[in-house]
Amino acid sequence: MLQISHLYKNYGKFQAVRDLNLHVPKGDLFGFVGPNGAGKTTTIRMVCGLMPPTEGTITIHGVDALLHPKEIKKQIGYVPDFFGVYDNLKVSEYMDFYGSMYRMTSREIAAVSNDLLELVNLSDKKEVYVDTLSRGMKQRLCVARALIHNPSLLVLDEPNSGLDPRARVEMKELLQNLRSMGKTIVISSHILSELAEMCNSIGIMDHGKLVEAGNIEDVMEHVFGGNRIVVSVHGEMEPAVRMLKEHPQIRVESVGEKEIHISHAMKEEEIAQLIAQMIQNGIIVTGFYKEEGNLESLFMQLTGGQEDEN
Amino acid sequence: MRINPMVKKDIKVQARSMRCCWEIFVYEAIMAVVFFFAMFLFSQQMTYSSANIYSSIVWLYPALAVTQIFILGVVVPVRTASAISGEKERQTFDIMMTTSMTGFSIIMGKVLTAMIQSMFYVVAGLPIVALAFVIGGLSWGNLFWFLAVSLLVSFVSASIGILCSSICKKTISAIILSYGIYALLFIGSFLPYLVTTVVRLSGGVPEKSCWVLLVNPGMYLLEFFTWSMTGTSVAEELITNYGKTFSVSGAAVHYGWMAVSTLLFVALAFVFLLIAMRRINPMAGYGRKHAGGKQHG
Repeated sequence: MLQISHLYKNYGKFQAVRDLNLHVPKGDLFGFVGPNGAGKTTTIRMVCGLMPPTEGTITIHGVDALLHPKEIKKQIGYVPDFFGVYDNLKVSEYMDFYGSMYRMTSREIAAVSNDLLELVNLSDKKEVYVDTLSRGMKQRLCVARALIHNPSLLVLDEPNSGLDPRARVEMKELLQNLRSMGKTIVISSHILSELAEMCNSIGIMDHGKLVEAGNIEDVMEHVFGGNRIVVSVHGEMEPAVRMLKEHPQIRVESVGEKEIHISHAMKEEEIAQLIAQMIQNGIIVTGFYKEEGNLESLFMQLTGGQEDEN
Repeated sequence: MRINPMVKKDIKVQARSMRCCWEIFVYEAIMAVVFFFAMFLFSQQMTYSSANIYSSIVWLYPALAVTQIFILGVVVPVRTASAISGEKERQTFDIMMTTSMTGFSIIMGKVLTAMIQSMFYVVAGLPIVALAFVIGGLSWGNLFWFLAVSLLVSFVSASIGILCSSICKKTISAIILSYGIYALLFIGSFLPYLVTTVVRLSGGVPEKSCWVLLVNPGMYLLEFFTWSMTGTSVAEELITNYGKTFSVSGAAVHYGWMAVSTLLFVALAFVFLLIAMRRINPMAGYGRKHAGGKQHG
């Protein structure tokens, strides 16, 4: 669906995007994560034809988006991070305006716009002026507007920024609905927990580079290796730490107040033996479980802890 | 017929605003003030003269027409200077550029909107201007040419405004730049003529710099109104001053001058619009450059 190859964007000597390679399959809800200045918006703008790259290719449905922007514009629906409105324009007129910008007839626009406004829960606001809508409603209207020409790829840049919790939930549900309708969605966000719930694949950007991308579970597995264990100990930590450090197949990653995070290269029975040995040595083991990575810890690990503030 | 969506939207949005009502009110008020002031001057003049007042009233036409064209020249760049930069400030420009609208459609939509709005003013001012026709003995031809010149002024002013709007990020900078270009056209094209006239009067060799005045809006309007009112051509006089004699009538020189000047203004406006189109297209030149690059290796 969306294929980005060796994409670069330079501003003088500063590289905003460096050798970005990405594949988003059809029907995916792909989340772009990264700290401010990571290059997310620049990448999104290049995908939408709002900025030429310094180097690289972007193809959508096999069509070069940079060489054939006219064809690609029909395939993309773009929702920017800020929702600009025209004063004195009603919701139905707003939809009509953008529909006619895609050369749709009034009849086509009327039919599609009714369905879309219903989808975004704004069918009762048709005759309301756009600038009087709440921010959440405006953002949903913006999604409806982006869908008016039935694009196969929907690109949203920070759609949840500035929205209240309820509006965020509504937006999340809307995007999940759209995904179930077969739309491919690329969304950039700062809110990692929401992306984790919403997206099936992610790309983590940092300093213009895509540091990790793919299915969320695969990325977690790749980063955490699936061999991390948290050992909870009651009482003195020192003997437990010493014992684990001395073990040839274990690396102690971090030591907390009551927990020791380790990574290992052991089989199941070897892990069981380790627990038994610890208990025999008088260490009170209160917990021994596989560490489940979450998107936050993944993000922190990959970007060196430069999470954005909301 | 399919109406350009930009025109439809812009006209609708602006017609609904109170600003539009106030603008037309202020415009009509200025026209009325000029009318009454001109009438006052004529009546004062008649107090000390035995001439018929109707011979003076005919000058209402240039007074009102010049006022109208001056207002258009001032207002249209202000309106169009915000055409693109306003969309950028409102952050609707990016959305617009991701639609199927081409740069040409967007720019032409903005120009058409500006011209239609100018026509609102012209039509709204017609009853006042018509007084000059009713009691001034002017022909329908004058009215037609006046409307044509108003349209040309709107078109050229709109193209200057759009160009500046596509160059500047802020509307205020675009407005200032528009007036800068105006000054360049008015003063810049007049300076060579002024310099060579001084040289000629002080006995130097005259240059044929009067042709630069073909792109001087002031000269264009002067020629238009002088011909309408007196039937004499300023252009003919100007060219004759440089030692050039004509075997054709003054009318031919006038129409020739007006035609060439009009064509130059239209061409200049199109150049401005082409630059604006290129400026607003973020991918301008990318396809050609990279497709070419790929072909070459």
